[in-house]
Amino acid sequence: MVDVNQHNLVPEHTVLDDPERVEEVLEEYNVNKTNLPKIKKNDPALRETDAEPGDVVEIVRNSRTAERAVVYRLVVE
Amino acid sequence: MSMQTPKELGGLQFGLMDPETYRDMSATKVITADTYDDDGYPIDMGLMDPRLGVIDPGLECRTCGQHSGSCNGHFGHIELAAPVIHVGFTKLIRRLLRATCRECGRLALTEEEQAEFRDRLVRTRELGEDPNDVLKAAVRQARKASRCPYCGAPQHDIKHEKPTTYYEVQDVLSGDYSERIASAMQPDPDDEDDQGTSPQELAEETGIDLARVNEILAGEFRPRKDDRRAIEKALGIDLTEEDMNKLMPSDIRDWFEDIPDSDIETLGIDPERSRPEWMILTVLPVPPVTARPSITLDNGQRSEDDLTHKLVDIIRINQRFMENREAGAPQLIIEDLWELLQYHVTTFIDNEISGTPPARHRSGRPLKTLSQRLKGKEGRFRGSLSGKRVNFSARTVISPDPTLSLNEVGVPDRVAKEMTQTMNVTERNIEEARQYVRNGPESHPGANYVKRPDGRRLKVTEKNCEELAEKVEVGWEVNRHLVDGDIVIFNRQPSLHRMSIMAHEVVVMPYKTFRLNTTVCPPYNADFDGDEMNMHALQNEEARAEARVLMRVQEQILSPRFGENIIGAIQDHISGTYLLTHENPRFSETQALDLLRATSVDELPEPDGRDDGEPYWTGRTIFSLLLPDDLSLEFPSSTGDTVVIEDGQLIEGTIDEDAVGAFGGEIVDTITKVYSETRARIFINEIASLAMRAIMHFGFSLGIDDESIPDEAGEMVDEAIENAYERIEELIETYEAGELESLPGRTVDETLEMKIMQTLGKARDSAGEIAEDHFGDDNPAVIMARSGARGSMLNLTQMAGCVGQQAVRGERINRGYEDRTLSHYRKNDLSAEAHGFVENSYRGGLTPREFFFHAMGGREGLVDTAVRTSKSGYLQRRLINALSELETQYDGTVRDTSGTIVQFEFGEDGTSPVRVSSGDANDIDVDSIADRILEAEFGDEAEKQRFLGEREEPTNLSEHAEPRRVARGQGVQSDD
Ligand SMILES: [Mg+2]
Ligand SMILES: [Zn+2]
Ligand SMILES: [Zn+2]
Repeated sequence: MVDVNQHNLVPEHTVLDDPERVEEVLEEYNVNKTNLPKIKKNDPALRETDAEPGDVVEIVRNSRTAERAVVYRLVVE
Repeated sequence: MSMQTPKELGGLQFGLMDPETYRDMSATKVITADTYDDDGYPIDMGLMDPRLGVIDPGLECRTCGQHSGSCNGHFGHIELAAPVIHVGFTKLIRRLLRATCRECGRLALTEEEQAEFRDRLVRTRELGEDPNDVLKAAVRQARKASRCPYCGAPQHDIKHEKPTTYYEVQDVLSGDYSERIASAMQPDPDDEDDQGTSPQELAEETGIDLARVNEILAGEFRPRKDDRRAIEKALGIDLTEEDMNKLMPSDIRDWFEDIPDSDIETLGIDPERSRPEWMILTVLPVPPVTARPSITLDNGQRSEDDLTHKLVDIIRINQRFMENREAGAPQLIIEDLWELLQYHVTTFIDNEISGTPPARHRSGRPLKTLSQRLKGKEGRFRGSLSGKRVNFSARTVISPDPTLSLNEVGVPDRVAKEMTQTMNVTERNIEEARQYVRNGPESHPGANYVKRPDGRRLKVTEKNCEELAEKVEVGWEVNRHLVDGDIVIFNRQPSLHRMSIMAHEVVVMPYKTFRLNTTVCPPYNADFDGDEMNMHALQNEEARAEARVLMRVQEQILSPRFGENIIGAIQDHISGTYLLTHENPRFSETQALDLLRATSVDELPEPDGRDDGEPYWTGRTIFSLLLPDDLSLEFPSSTGDTVVIEDGQLIEGTIDEDAVGAFGGEIVDTITKVYSETRARIFINEIASLAMRAIMHFGFSLGIDDESIPDEAGEMVDEAIENAYERIEELIETYEAGELESLPGRTVDETLEMKIMQTLGKARDSAGEIAEDHFGDDNPAVIMARSGARGSMLNLTQMAGCVGQQAVRGERINRGYEDRTLSHYRKNDLSAEAHGFVENSYRGGLTPREFFFHAMGGREGLVDTAVRTSKSGYLQRRLINALSELETQYDGTVRDTSGTIVQFEFGEDGTSPVRVSSGDANDIDVDSIADRILEAEFGDEAEKQRFLGEREEPTNLSEHAEPRRVARGQGVQSDD
């Protein structure tokens, strides 16, 4: 099966394993986990990871306006 | 004061209502279907009972004691003789019937399954998703259970016959079971080996006593379930039939009453607020009379509201039901009446249920009942609540006025006299206020109403104005006319972007149209071919302040769409600056002053030189007077030269669309970003005035002769076209000889078409070039095309040279008759003229056939625009509705109303497009920013201080601030 992560338009997805990092992110934006944008557990970009619902994924993408844009998403069913 | 104190809404809860609550809040029980007695008085406990509120002025409400207007009315209630189903909940009722046990009422899910769904419910709520999905999933799973996990009772399927009938479907022993068994025991006539089955064999096989088998065969004994199964298995037959057991509303109510609260919670329903049995109505609330007022017709007859008619029906049937039941009427009649009651209650709630005939008025018109009042475009939500008509608004045709500032709008005096602003009278403005009142409602800066501190409003009339003016004291309110300098909101539909609604300052003018500066046409997308616009007068100080600071036209010069100016010179303004600067003409002192007379420049600089002893000033020098003194810029112009501005002096280059035009004119853009909006407004206003003076100085017109070319040029054009025809002839010959080589990926036919199109395209281009060579640089059409004011060289080519190939769907014209476009041509004629090539020019005139082909191409263009606008309008609406609640928060994130993050940083870089420099090469022009900073650093101390301090100009000053201040000192005076 095709690994979409190899495609150059698919940004890098990393699961935040360290609960402290997740805490930091939530604190920085002053939100609950549920207020983060969502990503489905079966999203092709997460196939190679061990993301479970409730995890937070960090996505780093190239941006047209800023060089680099970091986005966090909550993994859902 | 009659006003109630405002209250804050803590929250809003939706749920079902307990019948007890209906009874508690009811002002009276309604038992009589009649409304008024013979004397016209409302009947007690009838539908118009005075305890339900009052509609006749003068009468007193028997419940709250208030009069009509202050009493909102009170609900009553009808005790239904038998429970009926609420049509609004038929789906939920069906789901609950399917998911719960018919015996014990428990949800047919094990404790573990229930716990799982409860968890899922919590998660769904946290994620802000629809809890209905969980309910649906739980019902789906519970329905699968064939037996109740708690009491073990077998579950049956529920059939729902719309709208309000439910059946329990059971498999029961068929009535003709004995015949079925007997026929199965007969030998098969088609099969010789089959001997049939004897009763003995059947008894042996099924283990049933032979005597019993014989009884069964005689139809004297109905076999029990186990026996039935055994016989079915032995004979390979089905002895059952479906039995539909109708569930009456009372059965359903009893069923639902057994459902425990905990199971309800699993489904996401709050049992405290919504018990499922409340979906079956036992009490019907009667809306207050204020919600269904009766009207007295001209002939003195009363006409009742549709809801009242419906309630009359309900009460009548209810009464009959009770009477029949008390008289012990047969079950069949009772059931009929029950169904009728259900019908009336159903249509009272919703009269547009599919499968149910709508209840009709005597005239045949369907009644408008509760749902119909709320639903749809004209309903309460879309029609009355979100789409209200507004006061203090005006609409009329717009027309241009180049003498106005772009911040202003000319308002007709008759509009200004109708729309008012509220003045709170204080010690400082009391004289002014009195003068407005004294002027009365008819003469212009007058007043229409005054309000005393006790809240009474008095109309100012021609008769009482003098007298009233003396009575005005501090603390009163005066509704004065709009005057010059007031801020209003101005709008042109379709309101597709932010700049479709901007704030303008009023200039009161005679006649009937709104007047605008032509430079604000691009943001509104307005022209003056009959366009109308709306104006809204602001009614409180906060709104006026916000409008002035945020919405005024000068604050909208930069478009958030592309980050450059959307307001600037257009059309004749651009032709004007082109004429002024292209050849840098010379002007005498009088001429120069005349050009500048509408600007703030009233002194000329040193002359550029002398002509025969007379001093002269060049066009570029005059233009430079409008530039900020320290502006330096260099950019290519649309005309083709390079514009160089040094220290506010235009050194060389032509000022055209790329310099001062709307949609990204370099100078306007730079002034707005580097200086201020106010400076840009002044610049645009003055450029527009100067350009108009300049174009009037030179004179600028366009006639039919300006598109004519000399005879020899005409001959050259003809020759070019003739050559193309010959080439096409050759192509066709090659094609017909079968020698045409196809292009890669194309058929021969396609190749031929492409080559012909190419050849004809080239022919038109060369015709255009020939024509262009023969136009002088002073040709007005050429000036307009080069400067970007209006039109293009292609337009000129078509006017003077050759209109060219007409196309439908991107191909030469191929439609019409069989194998030809028109009956004027031979079949399969491939020539240019037979497929819509127009060799004539617009000026020369088209032949009838050319004209027809041209109309075909033109029609396609019209259809395309019509389709495009409707498609894109719908797309835009959907986008706006989806994005309208997103908001950039103070922490830079973009969130929706539930606080969910949509962007972690606005636009990923947290920058507003209008605050970014708009160079093509670099997104941010670091060099020039650094230069500016250094310059500021190395300036003298005062300058440096200015740099470090707040440099922004105040944005909230009215252009009319000066004259208004003067006027205040003198008191208000009318024009005459
Ligand atoms: Mg128009
Ligand atoms: Zn009342
Ligand atoms: Zn049960």
